[in-house]
Amino acid sequence: MGYFIQVIIDALSLGSLYALAALGIGLLFGVLRLINFAHGDFITLGAYALIVPAYGPNAIRFVADFHPVLLVICTILIVVAIALISEFLVFRPLRYASAATLMVGSFALSYVIQNLIIMIYSGRPKSLDLWSVLTEIKFDVSGVDIALLPLLIIAVTLILMALLVLFLKRTPWGVQMRAAAEDFKMARMLGVRANFVISLAFVLSGALAAVVSLLFEVQTGILTFRMGTPLMVFAFIATVIGGMGSLVGSVVGGMAVGVVSSILQAGLPPEVRGYRDVFVFGLVILVLLLRPQGIVLSRAARERV
Amino acid sequence: MTTLLKVDNITVHYSRLAAVRNVSVDVSEGEIVCIVGPNGAGKSTTLLTISGILSPTEGTVTFGTKNITGANPENVARMGISQVPEGRHVFTALNVEENLRIGTRMRRDRGEIEKDFNMVLEMFPVLAERKRQSAGKLSGGEQQMLVIGRALLTRPKLMTIDEPSLGLAPKIVDRVYEVLTDLRNRMGLTLLIVEQSSERALKAADRIYVLRSGQIQLSGNAKDLRDGEKVKQAYFGFTEGVKHVGEVAF
Amino acid sequence: MVSTTEAGRDRKRPSFKYSIEAKGPILLTVRAWWPPVLWSIVLLLIVVIVMGAGSLTMQKTLIDALIKLMVVVGLYVFIGNSGILSFGHIGFMMIGAYAAAWQTCCPKTKKLFIPGLPDYMLTHQFPFIVSVVVSGLLAAFIALIAGSVLMRLSGIAASIGTFAFLMVMYSFYLRWDPWTRGASTMTGLPVHTDSWVMLAFCVIVMFGAFVYARSRYGLSAKASRDDEVASKAAGVNVVGQRLLSFVVSAFIVGMAGALFGHFLGILTVDSFGLPLTFITLAMLVVGGMQSLSGAVLGAIVISTLFEALRQLEVGFDVGGTLVALPGGGREVGIGILMLVILIFRRNGLTANQEIYWPFRGDAMAKTAMTRRS
Repeated sequence: MGYFIQVIIDALSLGSLYALAALGIGLLFGVLRLINFAHGDFITLGAYALIVPAYGPNAIRFVADFHPVLLVICTILIVVAIALISEFLVFRPLRYASAATLMVGSFALSYVIQNLIIMIYSGRPKSLDLWSVLTEIKFDVSGVDIALLPLLIIAVTLILMALLVLFLKRTPWGVQMRAAAEDFKMARMLGVRANFVISLAFVLSGALAAVVSLLFEVQTGILTFRMGTPLMVFAFIATVIGGMGSLVGSVVGGMAVGVVSSILQAGLPPEVRGYRDVFVFGLVILVLLLRPQGIVLSRAARERV
Repeated sequence: MTTLLKVDNITVHYSRLAAVRNVSVDVSEGEIVCIVGPNGAGKSTTLLTISGILSPTEGTVTFGTKNITGANPENVARMGISQVPEGRHVFTALNVEENLRIGTRMRRDRGEIEKDFNMVLEMFPVLAERKRQSAGKLSGGEQQMLVIGRALLTRPKLMTIDEPSLGLAPKIVDRVYEVLTDLRNRMGLTLLIVEQSSERALKAADRIYVLRSGQIQLSGNAKDLRDGEKVKQAYFGFTEGVKHVGEVAF
Repeated sequence: MVSTTEAGRDRKRPSFKYSIEAKGPILLTVRAWWPPVLWSIVLLLIVVIVMGAGSLTMQKTLIDALIKLMVVVGLYVFIGNSGILSFGHIGFMMIGAYAAAWQTCCPKTKKLFIPGLPDYMLTHQFPFIVSVVVSGLLAAFIALIAGSVLMRLSGIAASIGTFAFLMVMYSFYLRWDPWTRGASTMTGLPVHTDSWVMLAFCVIVMFGAFVYARSRYGLSAKASRDDEVASKAAGVNVVGQRLLSFVVSAFIVGMAGALFGHFLGILTVDSFGLPLTFITLAMLVVGGMQSLSGAVLGAIVISTLFEALRQLEVGFDVGGTLVALPGGGREVGIGILMLVILIFRRNGLTANQEIYWPFRGDAMAKTAMTRRS
């Protein structure tokens, strides 16, 4: 029983991280039809924002020593600023390009960011202890220790999703974003500013990336210049599985990918356990073929048919 | 009457193909002007150029005293041109009220918004009943009311409408035109309507332009053209006839 | 965009009609085949110069660059003709590279590192050229299987599918210890690939790609690229034509993978990931995705730039102090170059055109050259 609970909690916390990252990708895809490969690097940069930009082998703490509230705010601000700069320098000039060109553009941006990190911080992994106490606190549930951190990740994810829903449903900006995501031209003809809505999407996406990077950093305690890439890859396939352009789909997809990988990890016989990711990625191709619109049919798509 | 919108000799290309060549259209304040023409004549292209979705390769668009050629669609909207594009384009992810209110965000006269909102709901009671429903669940006619109401709520100086009768039952089309004429008569709204049916246009409009193959074939007061013969000729393009009519009309 | 091929045919047809311009059959043939002929000459010159005057490091760099060029030509065969962006072709390169290792490593090494191979493979060793072709065929076969699924998708979904394909192959090879040594390094491949071998292969695939692009099949694939619905209506089997270009390109990329294995002598799964995908895609994008000249020119330009930036990373002396670009700097440079090209010259340096026969004031050739469609 205890083992079972542990597997479930781990699955949900992994799914939560994927869901948060997938939301960041899904938001941009919704508004801009951009598949942002650089989202993983936004996550990486959030973690690197914690230390002094220096080439040496050790991490010199910077933002990491701030008061927790200030630390969170600073990280979010830094990543949001990077997301906005990316929008301005790369994605705004490419706005009317095809989805494929945008995808290549974000791929190039991702490559540039990763190598900039190597230039500034060196390519070596650096260990950075952040709030490791969270991983040490454990509860005893029917004889099995349950760590606090996974529970915290799940809680943070739920809170952020609730806030995002409130924002999209209850605020005029949110309504504008939903309108633009469905029919950008029409929204513009009603005076919705394209630059504003797109920048807003980048702000939200960047803020989500910053939160993911903090949670992920606390979990791993190591900084590498490619730490965000696996998160991006899984989050990206999560948005495909869930249904591109649907935020609910991103969340469901993220959870699905997290839960499926955790369950495969726990349930597969040891000799094929290593091939877990093969199954997860194979799932994407399957979904693309059988249900190209994703698990969650976005409302817009359903009602237009 | 002062000229509100002046489309001066515009040519619009889709990559290398000219969809519209040397088209000029004037709309004065308080007028209803109709552009009629068969499929592919360039009607929608003309409207999309006015609202800034497309940019002309030649010619200018002037609104009031401002040159709006190639301006952003959002800025054109903010200057007071509200477009109801073809196929209605309601936001199905939004409910009826959100749809209606989205265009009010750019208005400066905050105090007037509620008044206008109530006016639109009065005008279209069906929208009031379904305020909280998803706009995708409305019928075609209701959606047409919704987009007209939505455009009205931006409080435009000029409203352009692309094929308001598309896909609607004749009875509902009558109702739509009733509403449009009423808007002009009561509120002095200026309207530029694109229509395929020349009969309908002749009934509703003060002046009409006949557009075919990307060029204006004929223009004039609807009253003078009421018998419809010349319009038909221009519309269908019996060449000799058109030349003749064209000369007479100008 | 009915680009290069149409212009090419227009030019070719009159050259037979107006015999005044024809200067004998050899010149005519050369002119008709000008893009691959031109690039073969360019590559030959580069190889001769580097082999004659370059350092050993430079010669190594040249081989590496030629391998990438071959991969890019392979990418062009699919992306240029079908119009679908592929993020998965490095997977075929990996398949080819490991297939080469299975064939050409000496039995002792195989037993030690990859004991999972079938007995026949374990005990036999195959010649170099055979292994390259067979590796390409294996990649083509996998492309046939994967492609018959993926090519049903179109546009961005197909691109996502190819990305997923790369991820599937990557994570599979990373775990397939008995055949690939998994995350460890596979060593012991005999080193056969030198500049001349690479030059030969590059010339062959350039001509092959050119023939394919001009053939009925290449034209059908292009038709589906320019207008999927219209070409379907005109009777083009869109899925089939895409699949064919996918298989042909996988064959080329697979062979490049095998040559890569025989160049380094060692293999790691890690080297066939997103960075290599990026570099090769960048070469194609920078040159121009829809022409052979674009693929080759892009590969040459980026490789040269990469090498020049590497010199900067090594550092040079400025008034007694060593000035050097920090590590990662050249990758940043390439990435920025690619973004600049994407933003300001979306059709690449060649504007998606082939480079045609420029001599003799040939009126038809000139019109063909200046025609931009």
